[in-house]
Amino acid sequence: MPAVNENDVLVYKGSNFFRQRLLLSTLSGRAIKIKEIRSSHEDLGLREYEVNLIRLLDKVTNGTVVELGETGTSLYYQPGILIGGQVTHSCCPQRGIGYYLEVLLALGPFCKEPLNAVLQGVTHNDLDVSVDKVKTAALPILLKFILVDDGLELKVVRRGAPPLGGGEVVFRCPVRRHLRPLQWTTWGLVKRIRGVVYALRVSPTMANRVVDSAKGVMLKFLPDVYINTDQCRGSNAGKSPGFGVSLVAETNEKTFYCAEAKSCEAGKGEITLPEDLGRECAMSLLDEIARGGAVDSAFQWLLALWMALGQKDVSVCIVGPLSDYTITFLQHLKEFFGVMFKLEAVTHESEESDDESDLPMSNKIKMTCVGIGYVNISKRTL
Amino acid sequence: MTDENVFDKKKAHRAKKAGRKAEKKKKKNPLDTSNLSARQRNPKAFAIQSAVRAERQFRRREDVITKKQHIPQVDKTPLEPPPIIVAVVGPPRVGKTTLINNLIKSFIKTNVTSTNGPITIVTSKKRRLTLIECNNDVNSMIDIAKCADLVLLLCDASFGFEMEIFEFLNICQVHGMPKIMGVLTHLDMIKNAKTLKMTKKTLKHRFWTEVYPGAKLFYLSGIIHGEYLRNEIKNLARFISVMKFRPLSWRSTHAYILADRMEDVTNQEIIRKDPKVNRDVILYGYVRGVPLMKESMVHIAGVGDMKINELSYLPDPCPLPSSEKKRHLMERERQIYAPFSGVGGIVYDKDAVYIELKGSHSHNHEDDETNEKKALLKNVVETTETIDEQMQESGFQLFSGGAVIYPDMLRNDEYLQQNKEKHDDSSEDSSSNNEEETDTEHDSGIDDQNEKKRENKLPWDNESENVDNEADTEEESESDNEEDFSQKWKEKMSEKATNAYLERQKTSKNIMKLVYGEFEIGNKNKEKKDDSDDDSDHEDIDSFSKNITATQKKKHKEKERLDLDECSFFYSLDKPSLRDWTSEVNKQFLINCFVTGKRSADEDASELLKLDDASDGDDEEVYGDFEDLETGEKHVADEKLEDSTNLKPGDKHKAEPTKSEILNKKLKLKAKFDAEYDNPDEHRIKGDHAYYESLKAEALKQSELNKSVFENLDNGMRIEVEGFRPGLYVRMMFKNMPSEFITNFDSTYPILIGALNMAEQNIGFVSCKVKKHRWYKKILKTNDPLIISLGWRRFQTLPIYSKIEDDLKCRYLKYTPEHVTCNMHFYGPITPQNTGFLALQTVNNDPNEIKQLGFRIAATGSVNEINKSTQIVKKLKLVGTPLKIYKKTAFIKDMFTSTLEVAKFEGARIKTVSGIRGQIKKALNKPEGAFRATFEDKILMSDIIFCRTWFKVNVTKFYAPVVNLLLPPGVKNAWQGMKTKGQLKRERNIKSEANTDSMYTEVTRGPKVFKPLVIPKELQKGLPYRFKPKEKSTTVSGKPKSKLDRVAVIKNPYEQKVSNVMKMLKTNFDKKNEVQKLATAERLKAHKKQLEDEEWRRIKRQKELKKKICRHLSKMGNKKKTQM
Repeated sequence: MPAVNENDVLVYKGSNFFRQRLLLSTLSGRAIKIKEIRSSHEDLGLREYEVNLIRLLDKVTNGTVVELGETGTSLYYQPGILIGGQVTHSCCPQRGIGYYLEVLLALGPFCKEPLNAVLQGVTHNDLDVSVDKVKTAALPILLKFILVDDGLELKVVRRGAPPLGGGEVVFRCPVRRHLRPLQWTTWGLVKRIRGVVYALRVSPTMANRVVDSAKGVMLKFLPDVYINTDQCRGSNAGKSPGFGVSLVAETNEKTFYCAEAKSCEAGKGEITLPEDLGRECAMSLLDEIARGGAVDSAFQWLLALWMALGQKDVSVCIVGPLSDYTITFLQHLKEFFGVMFKLEAVTHESEESDDESDLPMSNKIKMTCVGIGYVNISKRTL
Repeated sequence: MTDENVFDKKKAHRAKKAGRKAEKKKKKNPLDTSNLSARQRNPKAFAIQSAVRAERQFRRREDVITKKQHIPQVDKTPLEPPPIIVAVVGPPRVGKTTLINNLIKSFIKTNVTSTNGPITIVTSKKRRLTLIECNNDVNSMIDIAKCADLVLLLCDASFGFEMEIFEFLNICQVHGMPKIMGVLTHLDMIKNAKTLKMTKKTLKHRFWTEVYPGAKLFYLSGIIHGEYLRNEIKNLARFISVMKFRPLSWRSTHAYILADRMEDVTNQEIIRKDPKVNRDVILYGYVRGVPLMKESMVHIAGVGDMKINELSYLPDPCPLPSSEKKRHLMERERQIYAPFSGVGGIVYDKDAVYIELKGSHSHNHEDDETNEKKALLKNVVETTETIDEQMQESGFQLFSGGAVIYPDMLRNDEYLQQNKEKHDDSSEDSSSNNEEETDTEHDSGIDDQNEKKRENKLPWDNESENVDNEADTEEESESDNEEDFSQKWKEKMSEKATNAYLERQKTSKNIMKLVYGEFEIGNKNKEKKDDSDDDSDHEDIDSFSKNITATQKKKHKEKERLDLDECSFFYSLDKPSLRDWTSEVNKQFLINCFVTGKRSADEDASELLKLDDASDGDDEEVYGDFEDLETGEKHVADEKLEDSTNLKPGDKHKAEPTKSEILNKKLKLKAKFDAEYDNPDEHRIKGDHAYYESLKAEALKQSELNKSVFENLDNGMRIEVEGFRPGLYVRMMFKNMPSEFITNFDSTYPILIGALNMAEQNIGFVSCKVKKHRWYKKILKTNDPLIISLGWRRFQTLPIYSKIEDDLKCRYLKYTPEHVTCNMHFYGPITPQNTGFLALQTVNNDPNEIKQLGFRIAATGSVNEINKSTQIVKKLKLVGTPLKIYKKTAFIKDMFTSTLEVAKFEGARIKTVSGIRGQIKKALNKPEGAFRATFEDKILMSDIIFCRTWFKVNVTKFYAPVVNLLLPPGVKNAWQGMKTKGQLKRERNIKSEANTDSMYTEVTRGPKVFKPLVIPKELQKGLPYRFKPKEKSTTVSGKPKSKLDRVAVIKNPYEQKVSNVMKMLKTNFDKKNEVQKLATAERLKAHKKQLEDEEWRRIKRQKELKKKICRHLSKMGNKKKTQM
């Protein structure tokens, strides 16, 4: 549902896409108002993790005004200027660090000072991208836009599984005055598969069993498969037991697809077999590869954001089928920045398409847009 | 056929290059040396003689080349650029209007009666000009400098350069230097040829120092019949029409419009009720700079920030001759467009047709122009014809990607009915393919609307009018009813439909709709109407009910989505069971995504090899069968190919490339080779320029992509995606404009509408570096109001000056330093870094004030940083005195007033005047504000203790845009904002009281009283007796006797009598003594005199005696002499 514009304040309804809206509001400098946040739910109002996100945004900005309604079901957010710099934040364990990290990643290049954030909390969560995925699949996308890697870094200091977390990551991001326009229409073929299996406060054999099964699937497609095991001990293993895997497929055009799977939370009754986990992850990686496109499907929105925030030049990228999240993001981009993408399905090469038309891998989408000429207004020039 | 010839060519003859035969030939026709260069004839003379010199030469050449290089910028000029703005600037009475008139006459051979506002003329096939005159107001000069591409700077040669010209040049430098051409007029006023020459020379050199050495300066030598010489004007026109322009950084990031037309569309009734009511105003103009986004905020210079309420484009009122084909014979090429000057022709607008007339009496004059106008008017009045004509030309598109269909095409065809069915079929096909998509299609009905979108005949079609749609459907149905269509058309139509269908598949409108369906038309009720249109089209109750359920479903879905957890994964919350990729069937689809799988034909190495082999197919035949010894594989010429096809029938596309494919491939390769090796430019050594070249190539590629990528998109969509690109003539509607804008409208003032990029509409604290202009006479004071021109805006604000210390602290300065830059902070609009600005203290054009000021530009600078808070500090010294002193600890009072203050300063460094350092420890509770402090040495009670701290200074939040366009006509150039304190004091004759502390007072110095010398006991012991202090040692207490308290003596009467007698006796005695003393003195005096007399006499006697003796002696001597 499109936003209502009340004297230059965008008014939204509902708690969904809360993060998107705050992020875009911060970047665009436009004030927003969100109403009816879980107004019909039992525990109405903002959740803890959302309030936590506002806190994080307050830390990286200067001059932000946040007004919460009395019941917590409405929020007025007037963004300030992005400051960045040294930030330490303990994230809410209801969501993974990825929830917050994606925001910082999107804001990072536009801060006044290079961002150096220490985030503590749950590193691997079912709802959010894990820190491994951000590290392997999202950072290369940003690298395409800033071209020179001076200090773009994500370090996983220690891992933490839900529900208690205890993980920590350090994220560093350089600042840029503006992003380059990007033309990225080929993604090449998968040339190697890497992965990492972590086992926190569980038997080390678990990890090896995951590796075996995942490798078993992947070797049917490619001989170059190498999966690391990360056996964490003591404080490095966080506060809760758990294990999981993330697999990365790298193509010869520097596209990274990443899939991940993790065990169920301890004490929930269900038991995850390591073999199943490895196979599940491998399958979802294959699914991701089948979807194709220049970026991993979870980061389409980041690509769209950075394309839109480029200079007033044309950017072209081909991605796999758009996820719902990306579609909403594109709508939000239109509302906040007035930028509209030209989206078209890419025609496939002659015969292949005939027998594969029912497959999801066949509809790639070409996204074309003219950047809005966004410049980092917070950076200082001397 | 020709292609085959290329490869079936016979072996050509090769002439011998060496040997006897070649030599013979060389002798026969020797090389013609006449037109060879010296270097070719005598290469040895040009060989390197000295390595050092060669090195130097090379280095110099490289230096020169590198100096010339700039960072390549992406060229953003559109294919059909907007008219170039040529501004004519100069002091009053210098001949600006005459020059404009003459230029127009020279370009389009018509006379213009008045030159108000911008005048757009077509000068050549590729170029249009917008001429605008700048009046003598510093506000206009600033606005003109911000938008002009070329400035003709007029100067009265008989007077010389005036201050306005220098001011204008400075404004230009700050806001991005446009091209500047100087024009000297009034040269005929200088009669003497020699002075003329000298003036020209001096003026030229002065101009060069201001602009750049070698800048073009034109001389208009005189006026004949109120016009400049035709030749000179022609020359100037030629220069203008070949001028090239460099992109300026501000304008290549911001869209802007110089409005050349204004309409007030407020309801007259409302105005009648309240003349001061806010107006709805429409402004027109060409978009310049970069594409203008629909939603963007704009700043109208002289009015303020505004939101564009409606934005649409109109057909170009002054099109380039090549761009549009003539539709009517009546329609003459419109070469001039100047609504403010009364030359506008007819303009079709959304809600009206505007015809420019020169007042009501102008019809009486029968000249060319009125004739033309009459013709145009007639054109409109005779409506029946024109509507028919318009119908003729109004084409429509079935599919937004498809071809445009005109009614005259329809006239030729027969069974449109059937075609219609076919079209429906095809659309149904697509719907069966993809159910979800069609659902949404039914819901919004936008697709249909897109399909019906008309070709760009009427200007407002990008707003998607319902009326148009209805007209179209009517037209359609009419044509449906007609029966006499030819068979041929049917085929054509079906072909078109399928093509369009395919194209739609290709462009996939549906994805666009899926994402942007909710927006495309912002207006909600319009959408609803479309829905109903859609329904009536279908005329089917089933579909109607389906529609309703669909909308309900959609709403329900939306509601469900409202409060879901946010998740960025592809399968966000519900994880579907994935396809089993390991099964053989599925594996086949995926296997080619890996490097180990099959590549596409143009990438696969073996395919490429095969291509090469096949192209030299004949050669391969020769070799025939052979066995590869390494792999042990047997190659059999023909059978193998057959084998492979037998084995894998599904793999047929890889099998054998056709001959045409091979040819294509080869030609491509050859072209690539040629490009690489035949291009002589590529051969030179690139060295370090390779990087530069690659940057340049990248920029070029990007600019080509920018131009080409949306080329074949239909205009409505293109504008959605790209924005209103530069060169389009747009109509902007502003709601709630102040009524003064209309009532006080003056077309001689430029209306500059500048788009604001993201976040630029916000206000924050701007910090910039600034330097007082060296020609400005005064220095600037902190917190004195200053008018700043920054970005598109002109505003007044209260700046604070500061200086950045070595520890990056901003220290407050009360005044700007002279000749060096300092920092300035003010509260104002957020503007990107490095944007230049200039500051004025007044924009008032009061001649007295100007004369007093001389040069009006107070300062120039550029933006450094934006923030939402400031950190400017001022030095602050807190002073305290000791209360009590222990060894190294002391209690200090008077520095603070409360314990809380002390608590804030715990640990702060303090210092005495004598330089003893210390630290604040803790507050005392007894005297409020006192504290304990420790020092590195014992301090004295007389010491004063300082604490040096910094005090934060806040920037006043004051921001007032200069609204000079709203002022009444007479005082438009006299905008008065906040006055400085000094100004107010002067006006009201307030004299501030002098600080008494600062006053001079007489210095009075009292006599210095020294303390008595105290000699320590130890020292006294060692002193010789005469140096020992005597008096003090005699008394017991050590104090001098005189200071001892004495006992009062009270005498009895006897004793009193005795003492009285004694006193009397003493008095008598004293008197006697005195008399005696006088007498003695008298006596002594007499005695002394007597003694002196006696002495005198004695001396006299002796003298006479001596005389006598001497005379006697001399007598004796004489006697003796005579004897001798």
